[in-house]
Amino acid sequence: MKKTVQTIGLFIMVATSMIACTKSETAAPIVVTPLTIYTVKDIPADTVVGLSAQGAPVARGIYTFYSLEKNALVPNTDSASTKWDIAFLSTRIIINGGTSGTGLGGAFIFTGLFDDLKTISADSVFKTDNAPTSYAVTSGSGKGWYTYDALNNLVTPIAGRVLVIKTASGKYAKLEITSYYKGGVTLPASASVEDKLYKQRYYNFRFAYQPNGTKTF
Amino acid sequence: MKKVVLFSLLISPLVLFSQISFVKDTMQMQGDSVVITANRTERKLGNITVPVTIINAKQLQQTGSLRLTDILKEQPGLTISSGFGAGVQLQGLNPDYTIILINGEPLVGRTAGVLDLNRIALGNIKKIEIVKGPSSSLYGSEAMAGVINIITDASTTIPLQASLRYGTYQTVDAGINNAFSTKHVFYQGFYNYFNTNGYSIRPNSTSRVTTPITRFTLNQQLKVNLTENTNLSFGLRLTDEKIKNNISVNNGGATINSNGKENNSDQNINLTLNHRFSNALKTSFRGYFTEYNARQDLVTLSGDPYYDLLNHSFQRIENQTDWNFNKKLNILFGAGAVWEGVKSSRYDSENVRKKNSIQYGFTQLEWTPNDKLILIGGVRFDKNETYASAFSPKMSALYKINSKHKIKLSIGQGFKAPDFRQIYLDFTNAAAGSYSVFGTAQAQQVISTLMTLGQIGVLYDNYYQLKSLKPEYSNGVHLTWDYEPNSKNFFSLQFFRNDIRNLIQVQQVGAYTTGAQIFSYLNIGRAFTQGIEVEAKHKVSNNLFISGAYQYLLTGDKDQIEQIKSGKVYKRDVNGYSQILSLNDYVGLPNNSTHKVQLKFNYTNSVGFFANFRAMYRSSWAVNNTNGNEVFDNGDELAKGFVSLHTSIGKDYRNGISLQLGCDNISNYVDASNLPNLPGRTYFGTFKYQIFKNK
Repeated sequence: MKKTVQTIGLFIMVATSMIACTKSETAAPIVVTPLTIYTVKDIPADTVVGLSAQGAPVARGIYTFYSLEKNALVPNTDSASTKWDIAFLSTRIIINGGTSGTGLGGAFIFTGLFDDLKTISADSVFKTDNAPTSYAVTSGSGKGWYTYDALNNLVTPIAGRVLVIKTASGKYAKLEITSYYKGGVTLPASASVEDKLYKQRYYNFRFAYQPNGTKTF
Repeated sequence: MKKVVLFSLLISPLVLFSQISFVKDTMQMQGDSVVITANRTERKLGNITVPVTIINAKQLQQTGSLRLTDILKEQPGLTISSGFGAGVQLQGLNPDYTIILINGEPLVGRTAGVLDLNRIALGNIKKIEIVKGPSSSLYGSEAMAGVINIITDASTTIPLQASLRYGTYQTVDAGINNAFSTKHVFYQGFYNYFNTNGYSIRPNSTSRVTTPITRFTLNQQLKVNLTENTNLSFGLRLTDEKIKNNISVNNGGATINSNGKENNSDQNINLTLNHRFSNALKTSFRGYFTEYNARQDLVTLSGDPYYDLLNHSFQRIENQTDWNFNKKLNILFGAGAVWEGVKSSRYDSENVRKKNSIQYGFTQLEWTPNDKLILIGGVRFDKNETYASAFSPKMSALYKINSKHKIKLSIGQGFKAPDFRQIYLDFTNAAAGSYSVFGTAQAQQVISTLMTLGQIGVLYDNYYQLKSLKPEYSNGVHLTWDYEPNSKNFFSLQFFRNDIRNLIQVQQVGAYTTGAQIFSYLNIGRAFTQGIEVEAKHKVSNNLFISGAYQYLLTGDKDQIEQIKSGKVYKRDVNGYSQILSLNDYVGLPNNSTHKVQLKFNYTNSVGFFANFRAMYRSSWAVNNTNGNEVFDNGDELAKGFVSLHTSIGKDYRNGISLQLGCDNISNYVDASNLPNLPGRTYFGTFKYQIFKNK
């Protein structure tokens, strides 16, 4: 579970200041420290441990909890706390809030590029988990963050989808899932049955967390 | 033959060449230069207004082709697809869109739109005609991309011919042709036995890519000249195949191994009465009956039996009249009726036959205002019982600029009727997540019943748009330039474009309360295929002949292209991060290669020796959407482009014995997941004996 931290160098928010400069020439350029973008690899999400007598995959049915604030795994013993923000169990994602937890969390799926999401628009609605009928991050193939190819038995995160998350403590984060497979690359259709079984259910994603409570990234 | 030579002034040099060699019509030369499929009446090749390819018997023999797939994969513009058997894609259009005829009568029995061409043995075939471009104006549904007509001939002069071939994977092909004729009666019989042990090219897999298969084919043709102007012909064709199956089905990660067998058979019977009132007026009445039966019985390793069955029957009566009004004007008209029915274990009841009937009429005018120009206009109307009627116009023209240059233009509309599964399917895959697929006639009825039972969780907007399906339509344009500078060279350049609308696609229309998906069919898709085909033939000497072909093909889903243009489609970069997909990344419809090249060398000499070497190249094609954006782009899984090489040599002795040795896929190219129909290198040897008729 290697975590690499990717920091993007400082940059100047020219967009707003340029307009200001040309008009008044007086306003000082606003220097913004961009948020760190964390890349998280191979978070197991109830991985398959074996096969039943009937040949069905067997897993333990336990969520993996994660704190976006700390960029760290949260032990299952803290599942009833606000220490975690997001949790994974195969393709299901829950957010600490609603029926899932005691936090203030919620989420919605933004269609577009991770880098293009600079501000969460004011009219955005954060959904909360209402298990088992609905989840903040909609589950189901083609409905939320992934598609499932039944013919080849592959789960593929849909490109151009960003999970916009309100954390357990009411802060904001954006998260892009890049792969559901160990190593971070979706398996080819020709991959072996064993690989498809045992290399799945590993989340790879990147995220940015805004600690100051604003809706900008 | 005399008649052919007489008719074929334009291509007479070619015919003459084929006459002088021991082998009557050699591979290259279109000795059999009469085409029947293009106009539904015999016309010499030089006067055909649409793109046509003819494959003659000699070509089939010399390439060592056993099944229809073997020879079609070596033709320009054609690609063999894999999945539900081996189907043929014509100029980028899926196997559903090409009608396959035997002596003008359609074959039925498609699985997911694919007619498995391995079912068709080639031993008694006189020639195969391939017409490219929409031909529904003459043939109705399915003739959207084109027509492939397999022609057998009752009037063969060889009384007995027997052949035995043995090859890699214990593949045996044994055939007997017998024929006799009197002045008024012509009979031809054909019996074929084919058996292969199958092969497994997938490493570490017990399941064979091609499973052990045994096939029998029987063909009987009888033609009786009742009077000088009237003849009656009868044809019977039976095929039966037994396949040993060892299937691994992967279901949500669970692999279910099943063993069992599959039995597919089809019967075709036709009866035709031809009468010639005068040299200018002739008519034919045709009756046709065919039935396809497929049954698969499987038992999982844990002992659960399951089966799948399909029965498709098709009956047709038809009359066609050809009227040679005067030297410049030919009129053809016809009418017919079809009764069709399907029973399937995947419908609501496997005992109830779902039926459709069609009545149709067609006409075609052929006008030859002068010796340079031929104009053809035709139209057909199909009235259907279970879906909307279809109107299919077509016009084509041939202009002979001079003895060397010819221009052909054809513009037509083709259609493909919704098939039975798209209307009646009622299938829930209990083995794989309990998703359901309902045909349009079933969907609303079944879903509303389920709704009252409280089993429906959600219905999408498109559920309310479900209605009776319309046929899929294609408008095709083909422009061809043929250049024949001399008797040794031939060159052809063709541009084509097909615009398809009303494509029937499977879409999710809702979900059960359990979350399992519910699918049905909607007329939503729009697509195009376009490209260039180049063919060149060169006769190096009386013995050596070289031909080459190249196809450039572009395809696309028009709605997807619009979405891409509006910047709403994404792909992933090497890190897995999303990016906006540009049109340059788009690769079009799956299973289509942009480039295809064929090169063939053929040697024959005057003592009956022949040798050939064929090379085929196919560039990469999209097989699977791996970056989750539902369009095929260069970030998806593409099958690698490949070259396959084939050769065969043989000798026809004057005493009637022929020997042949061959090697297919010399370079041993294998791609188990994308090319299951291409085994590694295989060898074969054939022994053939024929008795010539004493003249």
